Amino acid sequence: MGEYIIKRTLQMTVVFFLFLVFSYLLFNAIPGNAFSNLLLNPDLPPDAYNRVLELYGLDKPLFERLQLYIVNFFKGDFGYSYKSFPKTPIELIAERLPRTLMLFAIVNIVSFYTGFFIGKILAWRRGSKSETWITLTSVFSYTVFYPWFALMMLWVFGYKLGWLPIGKFLYPEKWYDAPFDSDIVFSSMIKFTIVVSLIQFAAYLATRGIESLSSRRNLRFASLIAIFIGSYFYWNNGAALIKKPYAADIAYHMILPVMVVTIVAFAGTALLTRTTMMEVLKEDYILTARAKGISQKRIRDRHAARTALLPVVTSFIFTIVTIIDGSVLTEQIFSWPGMGQLLLQSVLEEDIPVAMACFSFVGVFALVAHLLADISYSYLDPRIRIKSQG
Amino acid sequence: MNKNIEQDLQKQLRKEAIRKNWNLFRQSKLGMIGLYIVIFFLFLALLQPFLFITGIWNKGVYDPVVGYEAIKDTLLVVECPKEYPTEKYESMKDCPGEGEINVKRLYLAPGVEVGDYYEAFIQPAPPSSRHLLGTDSLGRDVFSQIMEGSQVAFVLGFLSATLGVGISTILGTIAAFFGGRVDAYLMRQSDLILMLPSLPLLFIISAFAELKVWHLAIVLGVLGGLGGSVITIKSQALQVKVKPFVDSARITGGSRWRIMFSHVLPNVAPLALLFMVFSVTGAIASESVLSFLGLLNIDMSWGIMIYLSQTDGFIFSGLEFWWLILPAGLAVTLLAGGFYLVGRGLDDVFNPRLRKR
Repeated sequence: MGEYIIKRTLQMTVVFFLFLVFSYLLFNAIPGNAFSNLLLNPDLPPDAYNRVLELYGLDKPLFERLQLYIVNFFKGDFGYSYKSFPKTPIELIAERLPRTLMLFAIVNIVSFYTGFFIGKILAWRRGSKSETWITLTSVFSYTVFYPWFALMMLWVFGYKLGWLPIGKFLYPEKWYDAPFDSDIVFSSMIKFTIVVSLIQFAAYLATRGIESLSSRRNLRFASLIAIFIGSYFYWNNGAALIKKPYAADIAYHMILPVMVVTIVAFAGTALLTRTTMMEVLKEDYILTARAKGISQKRIRDRHAARTALLPVVTSFIFTIVTIIDGSVLTEQIFSWPGMGQLLLQSVLEEDIPVAMACFSFVGVFALVAHLLADISYSYLDPRIRIKSQG
Repeated sequence: MNKNIEQDLQKQLRKEAIRKNWNLFRQSKLGMIGLYIVIFFLFLALLQPFLFITGIWNKGVYDPVVGYEAIKDTLLVVECPKEYPTEKYESMKDCPGEGEINVKRLYLAPGVEVGDYYEAFIQPAPPSSRHLLGTDSLGRDVFSQIMEGSQVAFVLGFLSATLGVGISTILGTIAAFFGGRVDAYLMRQSDLILMLPSLPLLFIISAFAELKVWHLAIVLGVLGGLGGSVITIKSQALQVKVKPFVDSARITGGSRWRIMFSHVLPNVAPLALLFMVFSVTGAIASESVLSFLGLLNIDMSWGIMIYLSQTDGFIFSGLEFWWLILPAGLAVTLLAGGFYLVGRGLDDVFNPRLRKR
C-alpha cells in the first residue's frame, strides 16, 4: 500500500504541474486582458495602459510569465490580485471559502440524510403506488432545470409570499452600527455549527451499539433536544448575545439557498440508494434473515441499509469534491458572495492570479479526495484490493 | 448452404434476445413513462419540419427565430382617476380594466382622446387557437420555439453522448486490458479532466470560441468521455477480463485487439449504453445552463427561451405570462427526466439483480 501511495503522489505531482500549465495557457487564450478597459477611458494619458501592463509584468512574453508564475507558485507566492490590488488571492479565498463551505456543508449533510432515508423506504416499498409517485417526484427534482427552478422559488418565497429575502448575504442597513464585521460573526456561527454537529455525531456513535431500535432512536432524539436547549442558553448569554441579531440576519439569508439546493440535491442520493438497496435485497443473507424471523424493520435498517451505504458514501465523497464547482451557479443566482462567485468573477474579469489560485485550490482538493477515495475503497471493498494486486 | 442456416439462426437469436429484453423493459413502469416522454418530444421535434414542408404553417408567421404575427386588439382609451375607489374602479389595480388602455401610456400616439378606440399589438400574446402557447415579446410563436428547442436538445444530446461514450468505452477497455503504464496514463488523464471546474471552463471556452450547437456537443462529449466515465467503464471491463471465456479466447490464439473488440467490448456495451442515456441528461442540462447565461451562439433553444424571459423581466412577473416561463423550463426538465427514467428501465434489463423476480 505504501508503495502505491508514493507512486500515486508522484503521478499526482506531474498531473498537477500539467494542470497548472494548461490552465495558465487557457486563461491567456482569452482575448484582451484585465486592464483592457483602461484603453476606453479618454481621460487617461495614452501611455498609462502600457505603464500599468509593465507594472503587473503583463508586457513580458507568455512563456516567460508562465515560467515565473510556476516557479513562484511552488515557492508559495501566488502574486497579487489585478482587480483588488493590495489583496493577495489567498486573502480573497480565505474570506470567501468559509461562506461556501458553510452553505454547502449544511446542504450536503441534510440532503444525504434525507436522501438515504427516502431511498431506503422506496426500495422497501417496491412496486407500490406510492413508490412510483415518490420516485417520479425525485426524478423531477433530480433533473429539474436548476436555474429556472431556483428563480421560481425566489419568486414564490421572496416576492409573492415575501417570507424570505431575495438573495444576498445580509441586509446592509442592519449592519450600519454593528460593532464588528460580518466575517467575525460568521466565523463564530461556523464554530457553533461545527460544535453542534460534533455533539450530535458523538451521540450517534455512542448509541450505535444499542440493540433496541426504539430506545436508540429515543436517545438520539434526546441528544437533539439537549442541543437545542444548550444552544438557546449559548446565544442568550455573554458575548454571543451581542452577535445574536447579526447572526440571525445571516441565517435568515441562508434559508432559501439551503432549501432550494437541498431539494435538488437530495434526489440524487435517494435514487442511488434505491438502486443499491434493491440490489442488496436480492442477496441470500436477506432471505436468511427473513427465514430467521427477524422483524422487517430490523432487516431493512440493519441488514440491508448498511450494505447499501457503501456506494452512497463514495458518491458523497465525490459530491464534496464538486462543491466549489457546483456552487458557481447557485451563488450567481442567490448572489451569495462565496467561492463560486469569486471563481466566476475572476475568470470573467481575467484576474489571472486569483483565477489560477481558485483553479489550483479546486484541483488540489479534487486530487487529494480522489486519492483518499481510492484508498478507502480498497479498504472497504476487499474485491477491489484483490483486483489491484492481480 | 450451411452458412446461410447459420446466419438465419444468428438473426433469429438476435431477434429473440431483443424481444426478451423488450419484455423485461416493458415490465418497469418508470422506464415506460420515460420512453413515452422521449417519444413525445421526438414527435414534436419531427413535427415542425413536417408542418413547414407541407405548408400548414407559414414560415413567415411560425418561424421560431424570425417569424412574426401582429395580433391586434381594439382597446378603449380611458383615463385613470387620481383617487380610488371610484364607481368603476375599486383600486389602482383595476385600472385599466379588461379591453381598456390608460391614455397616459399613449403619449407617443398624438391625437388620441379619451373614449376613442385604439388598435394595439399584443406582444406577448396569450395562447389562442392560432398560437397554441402564445407568442413571446417579439411576436414569435412559443410552441414553434419549443419544437425547435427539442430538435436542438436531441441533436446535442445524441451527438455528445455518442461521442463521449465512444471515447470512454474504448479508452476504458484499453486501460483495463493493457494495464500498467497505459492504465496509469489514462487514469491520470481523467483526473486532470475531473480537476477542471466544468462551468468556468465552459465560460473560458465560450470566451475565445463562438460556440455553436455541434461545437458544444463535441466539447461536452470529449470532456465527458475523458472524465469520470473512463474509470467506471474500466472497472466493468476489469470484471469481464477475468472471465473464463477471455482466457479460452487467448489460448485459442486470438490476438489482443481481436479479444478486446469482439469479446470484451460487447460485454461492456450494456453499461456503455446506460452511460449514454444518462449523459444525454447531462448534455441537455449543460446546454440549457450555458444558453441561460447567454454564452452560446445559437438561434433558439429552451435555455435561450428562459434567458429571454428572464432578461425581458417576465420571470418575476409571476404567472401572468406563464406561457413564457413554464413551457421551456418544463420541457428541459421533462426531457432530461424522461431520458433518466429510460436509463433506469435499461438498468433493470441489464442488471439481473435489480429485477423484480
